[in-house]
Amino acid sequence: MGVQILYIEDDRDIGKWASQDLMERGYEVVWLMNGDGAIEKAESCRLVILDVMLPGLDGFTIGQRLKKKYPGLPILMLSARTSIDDKLQGLEFADDYVTKPFHPDELAARIEVLLRRSGAHSAEPIELKHLKIFEKENRIVNCETGEEVVLTGKQFQIFTYLLQHVNHILTKEQIYEAVWGDSYIDGDKSLMVHIRYLREKIERDPANPEIIETVRGLGYRVRL
Amino acid sequence: MKNWFIFRFGRSLLSRYLLIVIVALLMVPIIITVPVSTYGLVTKVVPIDNSSQPTIYERGNVIEAKWHQQALRLDGASEQDINLEIHHLKGEYPEATMFWVDSQGYTRLEMPQQQQIPVLWTVLDAITFMKSSIASDPFTVVSFIGGGKVNAGQGFMTVQIPRDLLEDGEPYRGMPNSYYVIFGFILFIMFIVVSWLFFARFRKRLLRLQSSMTLPEGDGIPEPVIVNRHDEIGQLEDAFNHMVVQLRESMHREREEEDLRKQLIAHLSHDLRTPLTVIRSHIYSLQKERLSAHGVESLQLIDAKIHDLSGLIDNLLSYNLLTSGRYTLMTEKHDVLRLVRESAAAWYPLWEKEGFEVDVNIQEEPLVWNVDEGWFRRIVDNIFQNVVRHARSGEYIGVYNEIRQGEVAIVIADHGEGMSYPSDTKGVGIGLAIVEFLTSEMGLKLETISSSEGTRVYLYRLK
Repeated sequence: MGVQILYIEDDRDIGKWASQDLMERGYEVVWLMNGDGAIEKAESCRLVILDVMLPGLDGFTIGQRLKKKYPGLPILMLSARTSIDDKLQGLEFADDYVTKPFHPDELAARIEVLLRRSGAHSAEPIELKHLKIFEKENRIVNCETGEEVVLTGKQFQIFTYLLQHVNHILTKEQIYEAVWGDSYIDGDKSLMVHIRYLREKIERDPANPEIIETVRGLGYRVRL
Repeated sequence: MKNWFIFRFGRSLLSRYLLIVIVALLMVPIIITVPVSTYGLVTKVVPIDNSSQPTIYERGNVIEAKWHQQALRLDGASEQDINLEIHHLKGEYPEATMFWVDSQGYTRLEMPQQQQIPVLWTVLDAITFMKSSIASDPFTVVSFIGGGKVNAGQGFMTVQIPRDLLEDGEPYRGMPNSYYVIFGFILFIMFIVVSWLFFARFRKRLLRLQSSMTLPEGDGIPEPVIVNRHDEIGQLEDAFNHMVVQLRESMHREREEEDLRKQLIAHLSHDLRTPLTVIRSHIYSLQKERLSAHGVESLQLIDAKIHDLSGLIDNLLSYNLLTSGRYTLMTEKHDVLRLVRESAAAWYPLWEKEGFEVDVNIQEEPLVWNVDEGWFRRIVDNIFQNVVRHARSGEYIGVYNEIRQGEVAIVIADHGEGMSYPSDTKGVGIGLAIVEFLTSEMGLKLETISSSEGTRVYLYRLK
């Protein structure tokens, strides 16, 4: 059985099509046309897709209530409201905001990222080149040698953060601020040093990294 | 009407100040009388040292009356009686000079002897003597013996007393001038102090009003002031409070209008995008069907147009909001290179997919500008989007820094066919209009240099 997703959408055509597309991608979709019963249904779900303009309570209110009740439950806003104000309001509690008309592949990719970030997939190990990553157990195994890769706290945090944003390029400021929890100071080399040691531990050839890719002038990326 | 005028006048600052001026003017006679009376009082309590002037006679007018009376009493008196009486009077006023002249004009008794008194008086002597004696020192009284005109012809008797030996009929005589000066100065200082207090209060209230005007509350509108008095400043404060109320109402109305407009635009956007989403969903459903190459191409074209239309709706509504002044830019200091880097990182996968050569070479040092983060990202995204849409053929995007007009500029370059080349995806330029509007609002300059070799967009801060 696939991961269960709660989808709240009042437009019959869009709801039907999106639900079908997600089901074809292996998710189990619980589709509601308004916020009634959302709190109860969300209990068994791993992610919520929420429209904004709904009959009765709007998506912002439902989202806030859901987040209050289930703080760890990722919420993806899927709305035809595209103004910055709406996005900012939505992102106060939601984990992502996708605007309509959307590409189903983009929606699926964002759902994947959110599920990975929330640890919904953590039971299944991630296979990345010669590595097998067990997120839940904080364990990385080198499949070629069968040995476990031992990382320091910071190295593990950096690697996990990159994995949570797989396929996204993250700037050094973004990584630093997420891992160190502090503002990046211009010229700080600690991130580069940690990544160098991290590569020495996980890459086959640290001089030509395949797992943590350097994107010149921008940052780093882990690609699946 | 009359009562109203009195009421208004009584509360007027002008009338209050006029009152101060009138009181000051009324003080002028006091300046004159108070020093005199106080001097008199002081000299009585603390007697002036009179050791050098042991004899003080009555006032001049008393002596004059007494002399005239004596002269009248001597009507028909013999020379001996007159001499006797004058001797008696001399005993009373030893410091005085006395003489009498008989009807023939001969000086008969002279005490003490004086050179300027002629022995025989001519008319000229008499006139000269009288003229020199008027209002002069010594104090001189001349009385016809027998008094008056009726019994004239018996001669005249004269007494002369130095004025400083007379009792002062004017107590302030001899009072030093500094006494007046001190009183005048004290009064002047009092006037200045009262005026200063008056204006200091006045100034304090004006400053309070000024600070209320210049220190607005969070919403940018000053707080009303408390009106304690209903004078001219009170009226100004009332007018200010009235203005504050009107401003608040106006701002409230404006906010309501802004919210309504935003709501309307949000609903419009929603209502336009929802059918687009449905159309798109059907395109994806169709794409899963077996289609001819032409069918696939048509679907791709529809999809692309939906994408463009969606962007256009977005831009049109944003432009409407922005240019109607319904959207406030929240400018703050930001490292714009970081924002550019993050935006480029988000676009990178698409550039890769499109086969672009990406050359990002931005300086490490932060470049801090005062911008609205959201709208700045939007400007950069718009430029990146233009490269993808209109300069795809160049397969190149470069992001770097250069000095432009003496400022560090962000440069986004492509190797496309330039802006003059007709592009299938060219719109009416609403995106460009938004970018131009936003850059000018944030004090930035967007400069585009385009040729058949490619386009370079410079974004830099205006000096």
